[in-house]
Amino acid sequence: MGAQPHESGPRSLFIGLVLAKLWNPFAHARISISMSGQPLISVRDLCKYFRTFHRREGLWGGIQNLFVREYQTVRAVDRISFEIEPGEMVGYIGPNGAGKSTTIKMLTGILVPSSGVMLANGFVPWKQRASYVKTIGVVFGQRTQLWWDIAVVESFKLLRRIYGVSQRDFDERMELFHQVLGISDYLNTPVRKLSLGERMRCDLAAALLHNPPILFLDEPTIGLDVVAKDHIRKFLHAINQRYRTTVLLTTHDMDDIEELCRRIMIIDHGQLLYDGPLHELKQRLLRTKQIKFALRGSEAASLLGAALSAEGLESEKVDEMTYRVRFDRTRISTAELIRKILAAGDIRDLLIEDEPIEEIIKRIYAGEAVKEVSAGAPLPS
Amino acid sequence: MSLRNALIVYRKELTDSLRDRRTLISMVVVPILIMPVMSIGIGALMIEVVGKAQEEIPKVMILGGDRSPRALADLMALKGVQVVPSTGDYRQQISDKKIRAAVDLPSEFDKSLEDGRVEVVKIYNYAGDLKSGFAADKLETSLHDYSDHTVKQRLEAHKLPADLVTPFKVQKENVAPPEKVSGAAIGGFLPYFVIILCVTGAMYPAIDLTAGEKERGTIETILCSPVSRTHLVFGKFLMVLTAALCTAVLAIISMGVSFRAAKAWMASAIATGRGGADNPLNFSIGIKAIGAVFFMVLPLAVFFSATLLAIALFAKSYKEAQSYLSPLIILVVLPAIAGVLPGVELNAKLAMIPVLSTSLVCKEIVSGTFHWSYIGLIFLSSCIYAAAALFIAVKLFQREDVLFRT
Repeated sequence: MGAQPHESGPRSLFIGLVLAKLWNPFAHARISISMSGQPLISVRDLCKYFRTFHRREGLWGGIQNLFVREYQTVRAVDRISFEIEPGEMVGYIGPNGAGKSTTIKMLTGILVPSSGVMLANGFVPWKQRASYVKTIGVVFGQRTQLWWDIAVVESFKLLRRIYGVSQRDFDERMELFHQVLGISDYLNTPVRKLSLGERMRCDLAAALLHNPPILFLDEPTIGLDVVAKDHIRKFLHAINQRYRTTVLLTTHDMDDIEELCRRIMIIDHGQLLYDGPLHELKQRLLRTKQIKFALRGSEAASLLGAALSAEGLESEKVDEMTYRVRFDRTRISTAELIRKILAAGDIRDLLIEDEPIEEIIKRIYAGEAVKEVSAGAPLPS
Repeated sequence: MSLRNALIVYRKELTDSLRDRRTLISMVVVPILIMPVMSIGIGALMIEVVGKAQEEIPKVMILGGDRSPRALADLMALKGVQVVPSTGDYRQQISDKKIRAAVDLPSEFDKSLEDGRVEVVKIYNYAGDLKSGFAADKLETSLHDYSDHTVKQRLEAHKLPADLVTPFKVQKENVAPPEKVSGAAIGGFLPYFVIILCVTGAMYPAIDLTAGEKERGTIETILCSPVSRTHLVFGKFLMVLTAALCTAVLAIISMGVSFRAAKAWMASAIATGRGGADNPLNFSIGIKAIGAVFFMVLPLAVFFSATLLAIALFAKSYKEAQSYLSPLIILVVLPAIAGVLPGVELNAKLAMIPVLSTSLVCKEIVSGTFHWSYIGLIFLSSCIYAAAALFIAVKLFQREDVLFRT
């Protein structure tokens, strides 16, 4: 997978031009002056505990539950700290129930933390909520802030009034969304009749109507098809590039992260397991790579097999002439292995691949890689 | 700025509700339809029952009366009843509605009268049965007339004046205004319906705007908007109040129109000989009384709206909210019914009970009595309850353990 996510196709160029034309460089003047040199979002020792009622099982348990209640404290978010600079695009990942959404809800001022400090865009979200939320946009992928039974444009008009956006700015923004997101075709359609992809575009437009410097996205690509996902990613990338909009997004789709984010934060059981550049995570955790090779003749297979088993490796047959070998980079370098393969047989083609990011994340979630991530183990050479 | 956001929310919820069929049904269709159905239904039933009962010539049976030809002849000559031969078990036949009543003349009744012996004439009827009552009434009137006739004859025989046994006469006269008479009977139900419809009209939007929002998962997106939670709950509250008042006003208007129509219809029915002699709907409720009822219901509607909103907010889902609110309906219906019951009189203690006091005072207003001190006291107490309920609803909306109950 390429590390450079943005393709400069004609469409992106067009988006860029439109954005440049419509962008008002003074829109964030207040913010950029007050926040210069400081992180846009800073979170220190943030905690959120929920008291939940522990239910006993079975009929007898159910009867007991009526009289004696046992409560448990769940640490949804447990002392997490991070900072986000203006213009950053950060991926926030973790398994279900890890505390992602709770963090987002605290960052958007919906929930009040149990303890900890948070400053976002110069505001304490839960204390100055009403003024703060005017500077953020939020999209919850599984819900919509649009009016279900009514034409999309009505929701936009409502949001315009709520956020106090002037008619001129509103018209300008709508023009932008028409061109970049292509939402003009269904502005007069009730939300319930939109496809998920169309709805998500409208939701994004709604979240950005008041030109917020910060955008929080909770699973923005959930349930979308490949084309719709791609569209959303391109739009987010363009917004980030042109407006320097700071984006924090949670997702389960690693392609979102790889295409959009340089930095990722991994949370599990309410604790931050990793916070840093995506490529560094890969470097740290990419122990195995794989080499796929295609042979010219079948007689080379046995020779190769012997050469690999001398190194303690085994090749798998992918199809008639193609084989695959997985290896640990700490034990044998890629260059050396290739040299051995080339020496052993008549090779027609060769492909070196990293372990997919999903596999790495899976290992982290499973608890295997926790030590390496958090202890900052030395990078393999 | 402060109220502006609440009004934006209100406008949004109102637009939303007007597109929702369930809200429209409970808010508009039910109050408009229930009143004509009720009044015309009651009217039609009365014409039907009274008319039939009067049309039918009831069969009566004369028991005994041997060797009393004069008394028998008098009864036989009675119009409006059909005398059938005395056979079988008269009690059973009355129960089976084969005959409507029976009269038992003692033997040699004529002779007893001549001799001045006081005998007992028994009338058998089936209490509670309208037709049996009519028949028994006819028999009783006839016997009373016969008794009066006998007295007159006796007095004449002794050459005494006819009014000897009538030292004075008693006359009852009604001083209550015409509304009062009807108000006590049917008008008393007006506030009852207004109160009940106020609750049912508010119930659906109250659930939809809180638990419904939670169920759809839109509560988070709303809480992300720069509208403060107080304004949010105010906007929602205004919507629920609108539904409550809309239902109540439509019910009042519909009742006025349909009562007028039903009254005219019954009057024509009576004029053409169908139906009873009295028009049960022959009353009118003044504009002043309707205005006053509305004024008294206003704080009650605020109280209901805020209470329903607060309770529904606590629920996680639509279904849960419904199961919380159904018992509440009974809590409202009971005092409202108690207010309609005859004999329950307004006093200072009852004036403090939220729904009951309004029901009682509205009953009085409708019957034309305006106790201004009670009206003031009840309005004030209702306002206090309403303010308390609204305060609780606003406070609950600030609590995240209520908003995000797991």
